[in-house]
Amino acid sequence: MCALSLYSVTAMGKRKRPDSKVPALSMTEQEKIVYNLIQSKQDLGIWSRDMKRETSLPNNVVDKSLKSLCSKGLIKEVVTVWSKSRKHFLASEFEPSSEITGGKWYDQGTLDTEFIDFLKDQCLKHIRNMKIATVDMVANAVRRSRVLKNDCSSQEIGEIVRALILDNDVIEMRSNGLGEFASVPTGRMCYKCRRSPDATKEPRVGAMASIPCGVCPQIANCAPGGVISPMTCEYYSMWLDF
Amino acid sequence: MRGVPPCSSRSKSRSGSRSRSGSGGSREGGGTMVPPSQYGIKYAGHIISSHFGDLVAKVCECLLRRGPLTHQNIVRFTEMSASQVKNCLLVLIQQNCVQAFSVEHPGGVGDTSRRSTEYLALFDNIIHRMRFPKFVAVVSQELDKECVELFQGLLQHGRLTLEKMIDRAKSGQEDSTAQDATREALSKLANARFVEHCPDPEPHLSPPSEEAPARKRTKSSKMVAEPETIEERVLAAATPMEAKRFLIIFDTTTEEDGQKTGDSFLGVGEKRKSDALESNKELGSDGEQVLWRVNVQEFMHRFRHKACVENVRERLDGGAAVALSAMLEISKSMEKKVKTDNSVPLSINTIYEEVMKGEAGRAMTLDHLRASLVMLGCEKGVDESYKIDLKNIIEQAQNEEVESIVLKRYGQEAYRIFRLLSKANCLLETGKISDTAFVDKKEISKILFRLWKDQFLHMEKIVVTGPRQTQFLLWKVDKTTLWPHVLDEMYHAVLNLNLRVAYELEKENELLNLPIEKRSGPLEKRYNRLRTVRLLLESSLMKLDDAIMLFHDF
Repeated sequence: MCALSLYSVTAMGKRKRPDSKVPALSMTEQEKIVYNLIQSKQDLGIWSRDMKRETSLPNNVVDKSLKSLCSKGLIKEVVTVWSKSRKHFLASEFEPSSEITGGKWYDQGTLDTEFIDFLKDQCLKHIRNMKIATVDMVANAVRRSRVLKNDCSSQEIGEIVRALILDNDVIEMRSNGLGEFASVPTGRMCYKCRRSPDATKEPRVGAMASIPCGVCPQIANCAPGGVISPMTCEYYSMWLDF
Repeated sequence: MRGVPPCSSRSKSRSGSRSRSGSGGSREGGGTMVPPSQYGIKYAGHIISSHFGDLVAKVCECLLRRGPLTHQNIVRFTEMSASQVKNCLLVLIQQNCVQAFSVEHPGGVGDTSRRSTEYLALFDNIIHRMRFPKFVAVVSQELDKECVELFQGLLQHGRLTLEKMIDRAKSGQEDSTAQDATREALSKLANARFVEHCPDPEPHLSPPSEEAPARKRTKSSKMVAEPETIEERVLAAATPMEAKRFLIIFDTTTEEDGQKTGDSFLGVGEKRKSDALESNKELGSDGEQVLWRVNVQEFMHRFRHKACVENVRERLDGGAAVALSAMLEISKSMEKKVKTDNSVPLSINTIYEEVMKGEAGRAMTLDHLRASLVMLGCEKGVDESYKIDLKNIIEQAQNEEVESIVLKRYGQEAYRIFRLLSKANCLLETGKISDTAFVDKKEISKILFRLWKDQFLHMEKIVVTGPRQTQFLLWKVDKTTLWPHVLDEMYHAVLNLNLRVAYELEKENELLNLPIEKRSGPLEKRYNRLRTVRLLLESSLMKLDDAIMLFHDF
């Protein structure tokens, strides 16, 4: 059964590599159970705790089997995006799915904020230079600048641009083909910077957010004469400390 | 403005308490009046208490919490004497904070129906009292000093007849000078629609089935017409006809025949109404006896336009602000209601003519104007006419205010999440939010739950049964519940600011009463600190009130 399973094609189209070095018969019965379970999960892998539940094997047996299978190179441990401490295993021939790694923006189970921020800065710089740009125009500009070891696709750049919209650094508009939109075909979505780079004033803070009450996590518990009150509020005291 | 110091968490965030939602007054619709929100009522009570004392505030709060009541029921609920309640009601009516109306109550078997007088607290008008300085500023910009003085008198007294206005102005002046000056000032104020006739003191409210049909259907024919709230019905019954609201009739006496004749400022087709007024002279409703009051609707109209222009200036650029300002100026006289969703369609040439009148627009070319109108998102019609969606601008301004709160209170990641859900306007699953907003999957749930706990997000659970049960959480920004919650928090904040100002002034009461020559050294320093504190608190109050008007949608 193990030999047959080694040659079959999975539903994901990932052909399992037959490994002539795999000493299929060198596995114990428990190891085979554990290995088959892991292999059946393909690129999603399985958490050690789930393995213990599904195999109904004693914990120490599963742990020992996992250690043995790892040392034989049949399985590998991967870091998942849900928890770094969670022991998650895949059969060696599979690459972990983005569902467990988090996808292209994750590194070792953690969002790669440094890389994302770098890409955001790059995209913002190119949009500012071009004044009005589509996603493709930004992606081409990033590629031409050769700042990245591995190129990002237009789709990935699009995700970064949409994050810039959520940060309110960039606004999305539909081109009418006239004036400043002349370089963009009519009807296409395009993007421009919200603020000029030399804008000295900070983005406007709302009226409510400008006062202590607006940012206070305890506003619901605040009342005149209460433990928290506007008369005794320490945030007010700091704000009015002239 | 001075930045707010960062908040360190005091203790765990509150768990699950829900404030009463409701924006106040008749905004919610429905067959009965929706009471104002919890802190809306507290703020209104504080205003009345500060201006008229605790007894009047008690009556007012009773009406705000319980809805319209008879005099007898007010006495019962407040446990005050009948005469005290009556006096308080007189003050509140005089100051346009309460409106009386009569209703028919069907009798029992064999009994005739009976009519009773009930009193309705006007939440909006109470809150407007804090805006009086803004009203005065508008009048000062447009009219002369005499008009401002007369206007201030109306604010102070609530309502005045022309006779009383003249008496007020007479002190220190000759009679005829005061009379002419007062009439002229009143005319100017009425022409500008800053003042209006007072409403009917006790309109009769027929049972809903007997009245005219409910409000007109909206443009979408699928929507059912909303039944009016009781406040809307009372105000509609009490408000004078549009033609009469700003009508001035001056009585002049001719020397020859000693007969009084009426000089009136009448619009076209108003003679019939003039005759009706003439016939009512014996009832004391001639020109000198008409009660006048401030027309808050005109000011709300202007403030709404101003808020739209300022939002566009901040969000887009000066050119777009100039274009919008011109469009609103032209259509101002055509708009009947404060809350108009769209401006009237205007031709590019009409807009351009208006733009050229202002200093900021003189250098603007026609192409620049076109580009600005496109940036504004104006709907372009035939013959190059443009129409702007004001409702959309107001909503954007409201969004920005709430997003600013989320950013300052919960941080940048929460800000991105909130903006994503606000724009999506639908339920999104946790993973999808995490991917799109670039928030680590390990952190996302914590942030979402925090926003949900503080009522910024709505959450739904979906359980998928199968070989293994899986639970998905879906999230959404629900503005129908969030906006009233934010407004209630704003009322809470503005009340806090008021209380803090009063506290700071009371704390330094002796210092304030000290003559200037005795204020030196540390006392001078304390005095300067108090002045700075007062300036900061009061300017914050004014700005927060602008935000309250925005969320109340004027």
